[in-house]
Amino acid sequence: MLSRRTFLKEASVGSAMLAMPAFLAACAPKHMRQDPLPNDPFGAWFGVDPLSTRQVLEELSQHGADWAELYFQHSRATSLSLEDGIVSQASSRIDQGVGLRVVVGDHTGYAFTEDLSLEAMRAAAKSAAAIAKAGPARLPVDFSHVPQLEFYAVALPWSEVGIDQRLPLLERAAALTRALDPAITKVSVNWSDEEQRVLIATLEGGYHLDRRPMSRIWVNVTAVKNGVTRSNSANLAGRRGLEWYTEEKLQLLAKQAVDRTMVLFDARRPPAGELPVVLAAGASGILLHEAVGHGMEADFNRKNISIYADMIARKVAPDFVTIVDDGTVPNERGALNVDDEGAVGQRTVLVENGYLASYLHDRISAKHYQMKSTGSGRRESFRFPPMPRMRCTSMESGPHSREEILSSVKRGIIAETFTNGQVQIGAGDFTFYIKNGWMIEEGKITYPISDCNIIGNGPDALRRLSMAANDSVLDTGGWTCGKDGQSVPVSQGLPTVLVSSLTVGGQDG
Amino acid sequence: MAEDLSVRVAEVLELAKKAGAREAWANVGRSREVETLLRDGEVEKVQESTSRALNLELWVENRYASHRTTDLRPDALSQFVADAVALTRALQPDPDRRIPDPTLFAGRSSANLDLEDSSVPKIDAALRESWCRTMDQAARGHERVISASSSASHSEHEGAAASTNGFSGTWRSTVVSLSADVTVRDEGDRRPEGSMWAVARHIGDLPDVGGIGGRALEEGLARIGSQKLPSLKGILVVDPRAAGRLISALLGGADGRSVQQSRSVWAKKAGQKLFPEWLSLTDDPLLPRGLGSRLFDGEGIAARPMPLIAAGSLQNLYVDNTYGRKLGRPPTTGGPSNRVLGLGKRPLAAILPDVGDGIYLTSWLGGNSDATTGDFSFGIRGHRLVGGRIGEPVGEMNITGNLIDLFGRLVEAGNDPWRSSSTLVPTLVFDGVRVGGA
Repeated sequence: MLSRRTFLKEASVGSAMLAMPAFLAACAPKHMRQDPLPNDPFGAWFGVDPLSTRQVLEELSQHGADWAELYFQHSRATSLSLEDGIVSQASSRIDQGVGLRVVVGDHTGYAFTEDLSLEAMRAAAKSAAAIAKAGPARLPVDFSHVPQLEFYAVALPWSEVGIDQRLPLLERAAALTRALDPAITKVSVNWSDEEQRVLIATLEGGYHLDRRPMSRIWVNVTAVKNGVTRSNSANLAGRRGLEWYTEEKLQLLAKQAVDRTMVLFDARRPPAGELPVVLAAGASGILLHEAVGHGMEADFNRKNISIYADMIARKVAPDFVTIVDDGTVPNERGALNVDDEGAVGQRTVLVENGYLASYLHDRISAKHYQMKSTGSGRRESFRFPPMPRMRCTSMESGPHSREEILSSVKRGIIAETFTNGQVQIGAGDFTFYIKNGWMIEEGKITYPISDCNIIGNGPDALRRLSMAANDSVLDTGGWTCGKDGQSVPVSQGLPTVLVSSLTVGGQDG
Repeated sequence: MAEDLSVRVAEVLELAKKAGAREAWANVGRSREVETLLRDGEVEKVQESTSRALNLELWVENRYASHRTTDLRPDALSQFVADAVALTRALQPDPDRRIPDPTLFAGRSSANLDLEDSSVPKIDAALRESWCRTMDQAARGHERVISASSSASHSEHEGAAASTNGFSGTWRSTVVSLSADVTVRDEGDRRPEGSMWAVARHIGDLPDVGGIGGRALEEGLARIGSQKLPSLKGILVVDPRAAGRLISALLGGADGRSVQQSRSVWAKKAGQKLFPEWLSLTDDPLLPRGLGSRLFDGEGIAARPMPLIAAGSLQNLYVDNTYGRKLGRPPTTGGPSNRVLGLGKRPLAAILPDVGDGIYLTSWLGGNSDATTGDFSFGIRGHRLVGGRIGEPVGEMNITGNLIDLFGRLVEAGNDPWRSSSTLVPTLVFDGVRVGGA
């Protein structure tokens, strides 16, 4: 259903964690510390080794294969929630299984099983193999362990961190938040973390092991003034360990959550219609994700259904616009040592000095275009086949300053925080929803605005990117991208930019 | 078979008690899902999977946590339960988090919800492919078509749940769904898309298969030349397929947790006359063949129809056991089953001639709403209405306002609910809505 529907949202389930280094050093976990996960749980627990892997691949490619792979995954996730001063809700999740894929041309056979016994894997392989109609494919003579890059090393894997080390983070974040304004009536904090191990064995003989941490802390605030209630939230996220959640970071998080809430008491709706829109540095990377990124995913272009399908090498934006999608930014949600089909983590330039440079490729589209994969093959879990996806999408700094940009706007808005966005791949129409922003009149910020949907068209918006400041920065909050029913973690960033006209969902005007 | 799942659940409850849990709730579910995807006449993807998972909720020394695993090997399971109890014990006590009182389990309906079609598991690859080909043929029947894809999928689900204080229940269901997406060539670089889908419990409830592809094509072609109009104020007619989103947004904060956490526009609205007298919205878990139907909810509370909106005001919230205790009110049910809007007298086609000028909204383009205030801003796509006739396609426009105010402007509901959803809503007609454009 709605197979081409794509969206981006702030992760809806809080996750994240905390941990001050001092705290870590001072208290060894007293309880709830699990045994360390083996480096290769699949081998250690299930006897998955090159020999059994070869047997399953043989079954999987028995009717032919241009490509085949096994994607083993073991995940342990913990989430905690603090409400009314106590952490009284938690959940834990163990998820494991293997996804089996065989590709012939543009055609994919796929199956998965949560049962990692050899018999169950062979049965799943047989069902996936039915897509192909030829003779057996050639199997690798040997598997070679591919040395891993390290874009997200953490001090201690989440699976070895005690609950008693996580709880103080939630309590500290709540206390810092509550102390900031007497009008605050409710504070809740959500935490989530995950330790994921994957093993990717390919028909070409690649054998990749990766360990992928993820964490997030999310603060929700409700305040009441003169009988009026307003609420908002802020979060911090990344492929981070406990050591990243320092006192300083928690203070910043608390301040962000409170500032974004208290300003809502004075916020109005902007006028409706076409207006210049300034996008503040950081979270405004949502513009790139929707206006450019999805349309550059090569599966849409291979199928000829993206508005960017015929635009490679065309001038699409002013000279100062360079947009990259990068899996190598340390500890970002979108960072990948290796993608989900065994291609090494890398950086891809989408738009270079205003020219459309490269699509985002997985193996299927790379073969179609006779190029190398850009390391963009990603999947939500072993339950899904991979497809081209964004990682960490950002735009490089431009030649202007934020002050120059603001003072150039006679009547428009500046957008600062967002909740979600989406795009129609073929028509190119995209949206994003502004939670916090400001009205700009005669070059000056005048009053706060909130809750308005913005609509633009991808190629039009690129052409209308008329100024970019020298302050490019990545957003510290966590984003989740949805496509074809699969959600993956992503990151984004932007310098302060001016789009000369977008359609603003406001009132009056 | 669900019997062996019940045995597994009983074993897990025993393990939990032995590990020190005072009370526990467990369920084990199993499902099989198969999909064929055809693009431009060729099979692009076939997928088949079976999966199972165990969910375990524990109450240990006034502490509560929920746990889930897909690793059901006996050794792994004992370790999982032991770890789960230890984690739960590490939390802070909350006297409001208690296993639901068994009186809430009583009175379970004996109705046959008819959620299982025994012929669904027998659907084979040839039938899936032939459904896809039928949709594909209809979807590609125009020279402007660039690409079309069709998908046929079906799934079977079964499960069993039990608690240490006397709950037990099992379920079985099937789902079959078909969808078609079409991309067509417009002027310039634009490639508008059209889509259509159908979801049902029984194969016999699916609409004409070719019609799904045909409707997707019509919708794609109808988007050609889409324009943004200047802002206007008038009648807004919302297609049944799009109307469900407004109901979801309206009910965004209509639950015990949101109210208790002061993040709900409904917190102080009980009893206030906000909507037309005739508007009725009901949560109906006992709808035969309904996509959200159930005999009990996730806490074991016996399912029964619950009015949400009637006589112009809010009647009930979704209140679970924990937040019911925190709010000092009886629990109703933790979350939505089927949300059913009371039907009017005529379908969209009969309504249109009477509405005059405005916008016919067919789909959404992003947007969001704030559950605390009810403020919303949604992007819309659709057609201009001139004298009740469907005119040129419009897009890149927004409606922005407050959901409570918007539903106060509801003037008519059709009798044509969209059935491929657990939110069953017909055509909705709102008066005096400002639509922002150029």
